[in-house]
Amino acid sequence: MIKFFVWFLALQAGLFGLELTPWAQQWFVVPWTNTLAAISASIVKLFDPEVISHGKVLQSTSSGFAVSIEAGCNGVEATIVLVAAILSFPAKWSRKLIGLAAGVVAVQGLNIVRVISLFYLGQWNFNVFEWAHLYVWQALIMLDVLIVWLLWVRTLPRAAPAVSA
Amino acid sequence: MRASLARFILRVAAWLPLTFAIWYLAAPLLAWPVALLAELFMKSAFGDLIRGVEQSGALLTFITSLKPAQGTLPGAARAVVSAESNVLLFSFGFPMLAALILAAREPHLVRHLLVGYFVLLPFQTWGVVVDVLKNVVILAPPAISAQTGFDSWQREVIVFAYQFGSLILPTVAPAIVWVLMHRRFLENFATQARGGTAQTPSATGAEHSR
Repeated sequence: MIKFFVWFLALQAGLFGLELTPWAQQWFVVPWTNTLAAISASIVKLFDPEVISHGKVLQSTSSGFAVSIEAGCNGVEATIVLVAAILSFPAKWSRKLIGLAAGVVAVQGLNIVRVISLFYLGQWNFNVFEWAHLYVWQALIMLDVLIVWLLWVRTLPRAAPAVSA
Repeated sequence: MRASLARFILRVAAWLPLTFAIWYLAAPLLAWPVALLAELFMKSAFGDLIRGVEQSGALLTFITSLKPAQGTLPGAARAVVSAESNVLLFSFGFPMLAALILAAREPHLVRHLLVGYFVLLPFQTWGVVVDVLKNVVILAPPAISAQTGFDSWQREVIVFAYQFGSLILPTVAPAIVWVLMHRRFLENFATQARGGTAQTPSATGAEHSR
């Protein structure tokens, strides 16, 4: 358990530090955030055609209201935590890769729900938007990470007891 | 394990509105130790930079010894710069932890809640301290930030510490605390999925490759 936490904290700090570098921002974080805005807009357009995305901004063309997806809301940090938790836990690499693929989809899927919900909450009531944005959704995304990790751990087979010859 | 993951998630979801409401209403009380710790740390680590801390609800105002830029305010010669920090921004992980503890239904609920609250205080203090430092060292006008005397590498450390303290710690610290306090719960949880009955409080029973 101690080894797991040491690896988890080290990996998490390392990946987070890497995320903050200009290189990672330019080649990964900004393109991903723009893609997230585009995906969110394409989903919203299914029931609300007056929504566009430009860069990291999701905007209503009718009301002019817009949300900009900033650090902490693009799901990158939550993904880093999940990646660190899965990579640090003792398991076969094949299972880690499956967990990472499914987990990233789960975390980013919920993050799209967060972006879209905040987009509409902001147009309805700014105080509710602030509460959901600053506190509630942050906690929910981390709960999602925790639950995904728990589900993944549950899928791991228990190690066979060591046999001494 | 007494309940499935789905039931556990439902219980967490049911507790969250209540824990968030209590956390918000009790914020002035819950934030008080953070104000004390932040003031103690700032005065110990940064000498004369901080003169005092005033608390209004969950909002902390740090009175600094920094002078405003000349000519920006009437009476600026006697004025000092203050910086604010909202404890709620760094403590919202506590209602999440409380919901997880209550949903797990393990023995010693009250003890777990109290331990969780006190263990999270240093992380919340970290957030507040680096938030104040970011405001006076990074975001303040050059005429003010220059008075702090921080080097460029120290500014980089403050930026990293702020990002880590605001984007990672507020939610990861409670999750880690919960996992550490509920190792047996988690082991039973994993064992149940495999159809076993073991109750060893270890999470290292899975197959190894590292």
